[in-house]
This record gives sequence, structure tokens and C-alpha cells, in this order.
Amino acid sequence: MLEMSLVQKILKTSLRNGGDFAEVFLESREGYSLRLEEEKVEENTTGKESGAGIRVIRGESMAYAFTNDLNEKSLLRAAEVASAAARAKTGTVTIDLSLPGEWRQTEKIHFVKISPWEVDREKKLEIARRADEAARGSGNEVVQVIVQLGDSLQKVFIANSHGEAWDDERFRVRIYVQVVAARDGVIQTGYEAPGNLGGYELFETYSPEELGEKAARQALTMLEARPAPTGPFTVIIASGTGGVLFHEACGHGLEADAIYKNASVFTGKIGEKVASEFVSAYDDPTIPKLWGSYHMDDEGTSAQRTPLIEEGILCGYLNDLKRSMRDKVKATGNGRRQSYRHLPIPRMSNTHIAPGKASFEEIISDTHRGIYAKKLGGGEVNPVTGDFIFAITEGYLVKNGRIEDPVRGATLIGNGPRVLENIDMVGSDLDFDSGMCGKDGQSVPVSTGQPTLRVREMVVGGTEEVS
Amino acid sequence: MVAEMGDSGIKNLEELACQWVEEGRKLGAPQIEIYIEDSQGLTLKVYQGQVEELRSSASKGVGVRAFHEGRLGYAYTSGLDDDDVRRAIREACENARYSAPDPHNCLPARAEYSQDDLGLYSPEVEETSVDRKVEMALELEDLALQEDPRIKNVDTTLYADSVYRIALANSLGFCGSYMGSDCHCYISPIAREGEESQSGFSFAVGKKPSDLDLRFTAREAVEKAISLLGSRSIPSRRTTLVLDNLIAAEFLGVIASALSAEAVQKGRSLFAGKLGEKVGSSVVNIYDDGLMHSGLATTPFDDEGVPSRKNEIVTEGFLRSYLHTTYTASRGETDSTGNARRGSYRERPRVSPTNFYLSTGEKSKKEIIGEIDQGVLVLYLVGVHAGANPISGEISLGAMGQLIKNGEIDMPLREITIAGHMLDFLHNITLIGNDLRFIPAMGSLGSPTLVIDGVMVAGRP
Repeated sequence: MLEMSLVQKILKTSLRNGGDFAEVFLESREGYSLRLEEEKVEENTTGKESGAGIRVIRGESMAYAFTNDLNEKSLLRAAEVASAAARAKTGTVTIDLSLPGEWRQTEKIHFVKISPWEVDREKKLEIARRADEAARGSGNEVVQVIVQLGDSLQKVFIANSHGEAWDDERFRVRIYVQVVAARDGVIQTGYEAPGNLGGYELFETYSPEELGEKAARQALTMLEARPAPTGPFTVIIASGTGGVLFHEACGHGLEADAIYKNASVFTGKIGEKVASEFVSAYDDPTIPKLWGSYHMDDEGTSAQRTPLIEEGILCGYLNDLKRSMRDKVKATGNGRRQSYRHLPIPRMSNTHIAPGKASFEEIISDTHRGIYAKKLGGGEVNPVTGDFIFAITEGYLVKNGRIEDPVRGATLIGNGPRVLENIDMVGSDLDFDSGMCGKDGQSVPVSTGQPTLRVREMVVGGTEEVS
Repeated sequence: MVAEMGDSGIKNLEELACQWVEEGRKLGAPQIEIYIEDSQGLTLKVYQGQVEELRSSASKGVGVRAFHEGRLGYAYTSGLDDDDVRRAIREACENARYSAPDPHNCLPARAEYSQDDLGLYSPEVEETSVDRKVEMALELEDLALQEDPRIKNVDTTLYADSVYRIALANSLGFCGSYMGSDCHCYISPIAREGEESQSGFSFAVGKKPSDLDLRFTAREAVEKAISLLGSRSIPSRRTTLVLDNLIAAEFLGVIASALSAEAVQKGRSLFAGKLGEKVGSSVVNIYDDGLMHSGLATTPFDDEGVPSRKNEIVTEGFLRSYLHTTYTASRGETDSTGNARRGSYRERPRVSPTNFYLSTGEKSKKEIIGEIDQGVLVLYLVGVHAGANPISGEISLGAMGQLIKNGEIDMPLREITIAGHMLDFLHNITLIGNDLRFIPAMGSLGSPTLVIDGVMVAGRP
């Protein structure tokens, strides 16, 4: 991508006013996406982008300059801007810059089987059509189906003032199927959106027909639903989808930037009991080809499995280079960025709660009065307090050990740490969902996972008062 | 940097766009549109009296729309390199061949756009030194810390600005360009008392650094954080809701997305089939004004070359218009409202609000609260993206705020949800404040304080 001598020149320029660390991040990304709506291809887009970001760390300060002009002049100018921004108030630090050694390719653990380049536009369209037709065939009340299919190849090159350099390639494919169903003025929606770090073999695991039918079934089921009750309930959260709750309500509080700023409920709690003994949780980008997986993070640290909670005891945080250098701890490989336009910050990859022993049937039959949240929508959390809210997009009442009527318009409201303490059953059926996680204006692919979980009590926000 | 962004630069960009349209014609594209973006920006964050992060950006790129017998293709490339743009033009044409024909896919008829001074650009953004901008952020953090001893630290203190040049040309002869600037600051202080922590937030937006009122911003954020200390939940009830203006503006975003003609035409809007009908109480007036002087989303023409304008969307509760692009207008047999917008050159234009706001009433927030016997003042909404569905209209959101009793603030609240249907909310708006304020979301959303009657608030006993 770039001559090594130019890379060294950039690094030297960026440190000429001092600094502890400098880095060049070079990226090129190409991709294709199509959008099918009303059975028509209404969007068909190809894009290509490349750019570079130059970073200088000096103490607690980070300076960053990026450009998508990749000629020597623009790159050196970006390096100058970064160095000026990192300028010390007094004196300068001299750094010995060794020439970055051999480019290192991280060990491959995620293999692409069917490269997007080998699949032509017609084949891609056919995949979208199959999902669309299956959804439309699921019921007369299906009024709209939207299918989006996208693939991309991101190539990254990273070199830093520690004399290290890496490169990596990341293929990703994702499909999004949304179904709208309507009856007598009531509108309901359902969606499925799996993705992978890999190629079009995604559709060997998820058949397009199955995705269309599943999304349609959610929307159609919810047409039958009655308004959700309000108040405290035992809540059973389904495997896969429910992982988003742990991700939002606890995971973000375990990212080292929140910890450092004392803006997390988990600050200073390593070694303490923060969850019930049934709960163990990990972040693991090495799980083969999951949507949130990678070989190395966006600072060149190898992907690794990081224990967060084991049997209820808090055992780790997720950090990046800056935070690991400062705290003199091992980098966990969670320094990620959306693109060359963004600074790396601590982010999750495939965060999940580990499976337990109970079967799904045992959990349901053991529940006297509760809500089964089969599918969660997005949610939000206040990291300072741990308070969160999640929409239940597909939910059911549970009575006397049986799943009963569907309910709509329900949300789960609670507090992350309190929910962790209140988990009293953990299923054996770990599964993952794909999503885009937003933080500080950056969006990165993540997977969220969990087995079926039961929370003793949580507030359900609905529209119906119950006595 | 200043010289490059001057008037001569913008004219060059416009010429470039026209040249590439010509080139596209030579490459065989029947109808083509070239969108060029050239922007520079600065984002800086300070933490505990030091610069935590300083990010400087320079970004250029081109987006190409190709139309072929009603088939639309899109491609983009970063940079302004001739070869890359030629390749993008070819890709856009190729993509068009694989799209479905739709007679409504077309370029807008050529029209003259406003040459008035819309207050888009201030040289102050570029003339102010980075050091001064750092000082402003440090001052903002310091003001928050000095405001109250219970403010122990500030999670985020941010200053950001950008200067951008946009040029657009198409094969129907449109050729235009403009440049603009904007800046904003944001702060989220954390208040602590005993074991409890609460965060507050506020921001200020403007066209130039001197537009930002740091003192007011710090004070407002601190007051919010402090006022939530000692909060707890309350038993479920049906009650009157007072939405703080920043929260109401966020809420208005859900309404704006449901008013997109694209959402309406494709059966995914709660406002489908409601044109001309009463959708809100008679005090509700909503405008979308792409020409508002110094507005954050103000532009002389939209992102496909339609002149911007002021649209009446809801008048005295009656739905007057949806938001249209050329495509949705052709399909709905009406005129484009100038709402074709794109996030960057990487996106094709879609329906999006400009300066979208609910117009003001007469009373101050204080007077409004004084008139309420029993109610809840909402200072935070959690889950607007997840819990408010612009398709079904269902709303179920987490909230934090204050309990109102006999016209006064009684106690702080947390772990409550508010739930209901968007249309019921709109119909039950009884009072609107005089404190219209804009937030930099979805273009620019603005609302005064709102009072909504009879809302279900859930909590724990």
C-alpha cells in the first residue's frame, strides 16, 4: 500500500514535536449493496474509499489527523497537523524510531469460502428475491418487505513507532430482512439480520427463505398480540437476541475508557461479586467468522478471548493500546475504529454470556407468572448508573409454566448490575445475533450472544395497568 | 487552509462537477448527476484540564447517480482523482442496468436557487486558532466543575467544527455550489452524592465559535445532573407529561421520519393516508424550513439540486404535506419539497428533514410547570431509537425527570417508562412553551417545551 520509507517519514514527522507513540492507519474499503423494496431493486450501489489516519499519543492526549488524499504531500501534512496538535507545553521528547520490520500478517483463523467477488450481481439479487418471496408468501397481511444485502472488503495496514507493522483483510457479508404486516389499522414489523466475517457462505447457514419466513412470522404473530401489561414481572430472555441487553447494560461499562473516567458502575470492582454465580461472560473475536470477529484489532493487537465475569466475579475490562500502555496491563485487542476517519477506542467484539445447564423447557415450566422476551429491539443505557431500556419486539405472557398470548408495545426497564444479580436460571442454548454498535459517533460490527436467561424480577413498561 | 476554501476554490469545484457530467455523457450515461463534497473539520475533547483527543480531518469525495430508462445506479469514490471518478461513473451506469425500471426515477427539472445570504458560512471558524478552541473547551469543563461542588468530574467535554464545500451538477444543466460552516460544543458532567452518580448534558450549536454560550451550556448540564440526584421510581399512573425542549426535539425526530413521503408511499408510516386529516391538537404547527437564516441544515438547494424552501407540514393540527424528494413527488403527483439530503458523498439522496421544528407558544417553562397539579417533567429519554416506532406509532421509552406537584418540582424520578401511541401524544398536546431550541440531529430538529395530557407512566411501587 505505502512504501516503507514513506511510512517512516510520516512517523518521524508526526513525532517531531515530541510524543510517546505514533501510528499510521491506512485503509481501503470497497463494497456493494442492494436494496429490494416493493419487489423492486431500488438501490444498487458500489463504493470505493481509501484514506489514512495518523495518530500521536502524548501522555493523556491523543492527536489525530486524517486525509483521503494519499499522496506524499497530503500524508506528510496530516503528520504535521498531528504533531502540532500533540505539541508539548514545555520541552520535547526524543524517540528513537527504528524502521518497522517485516510486515506481519496475523495468523489466519477466519477463512473466506465464497468471496463476494466471485458472486455476480444477478446471484446477489436472487438471494434477496428468495427472502422477499418467502416473506410475502407467509401471509396475506404482509404489506411490505425490505431486503438489503451488502458485502465489503476492508484492507488495513498499520505501522507504529514501536517498529511494528501489520496488514489484514476483512470480508464481511450481511443481509437485513424487514417485514411489515398490517390488519385493521394495526401495523407490526419483524426482522432478521445475520452477517458474518467471511463471504457468501453465510447463506449456507441461513437460507434466505428461512430468514424471510422468520421475519414475517414475527410481524404476523404480533398482529395477534394484545397490549403489554405494566409492572414488575419475572422475565425470560431468549437466547441470541437477548445478548444485546448484556452488551448495552453491562458491556459498555466494562470498556476501559468508561472505567478510567469513573463513568461506569464497574469501576474499581475487579475481584468483586457483580453478578449471580450462574453468570460468566466473555468477549471473544476469535470465534470463527462471527460478524463481530477479527484477526487483529485496529491497532494491530491480536484478537483474543477476554474473560469479563466468571461465576459472578468481575475479572476484566476491555482496553486498547492507549489504556493498556497507561495502566501497564496487557492489551486485550479491543482497540477498534469505524474507519480511517476515526480514533481507535475500546470496543466489544463478540460479547456473550456463557451457557449454563438448564434446558429452555425447564426455564419456562419453572416460571409461574412472567414475560418471555423472544426478540429484543435496540436499547439504550446510561453507563453512569447502569439504567437501561429495551424494546421487546416479540414478547409473550408466561403463566403457570406455559407460554401464552403474545404482547406488544412492551419494554424492559432496569439496571444492568441489578439484573445480573437477579439472574436465577441460565440455559444451555448459547446463540449470537449480528448488529452494529454505536459509540462516540463510531459504528462497528459486533455480535451479541447469550443462552436463554431468566431474571427474577424486572419492570415491564406497557400500556395496560394491571392490578 | 483559508485560501483553499475561498471563493475561487468553490468555483473550481463547480467547474469540476460540470466537467465530469460532460465526461459521463461521453462514457454513455444518458442522464447523470455528480455530487462533490470537500470538507475539513476539527473535533476536540478535553478531560481534567488536558486535551484528551484532537482530531483534524480533510475529506473529499464524489457521488455519482446514473439514470437509464428509469433505472437508477449509484457509485462513489473518495478523493477527486479523474480515473477514480471515471471508474465510479462506469460503475453507476453498470449498477443502473441491474436496477428495476421505475418511471419516477428522474432528475429534477432545472430551477433557479436563492442567491440570498442565508448565513451559511462564517470565516470565524477558520480564523479562530486551534489553541483558542482548546481554551474554549477547557473553559467549558472548568465552568461545569465550578458550578457546583457535587460535580466531581465531567465525562465528555467536546468542541467540534467543520467547513464544507458542496458542488452539484447534472445533465439537465444544473450547476451549483455553496460553502458553509458549523460548530458545536457538548458537555456531560457527572454529579455525585454518597454512592449515587447522575449525569446531565447540554450543548450549544452555531455557525461560528462566538455563537456558543459556554456559561449557559455548562450551567444547564450541571442543573440537570444535580436535579436527578436522589431520584427514585414511582408507582404506575396516567398523568400529564412535560417534555423539556431538548427532549421534545429528539421526540420530533420520530415524527419527522414518519412524515417522509418515502415511508408513507411504502406503507411504513403511521401518517400514511392521513394527508389533510387532523393528526394533532390545534396548537400544533410544524414547519420544515430549508432556508432558515443561519439554520444548521440550511442550504440554497437540496442534494439533488431542488431549491430549498419553507414548508408547512402541520397547521393547527392538520397534516398539510409530507417531505418529498423528486422521486417521491413524481410518485405522489406533487412537487418536491426540497428534502433530498445525503449524509455524505457515500450516500445517494433520500428524504430527510432540514430545519424541522414545532413553532413556539407563549408561556415560559416555569409558567407551564406552575399550572400543573400532577405531572412528570421529562429531562432524559432513553431508547428513542428503539422504543419509538415510526411505523406502528407505538412508543415505550425509559425516562428520567421530576415529579410535579401543585405547580412545583416535587422530587427526581428514574426507572420510569412512558408509553402510548404517537398520534395520541400529538392529539393530547395541550400547551407549548416559548423556548424553541434546535438540536443537531437529522439535519436540525427544534421544539419548545411541550405538555401532553393523559400519558401512561410505568414504574415500580
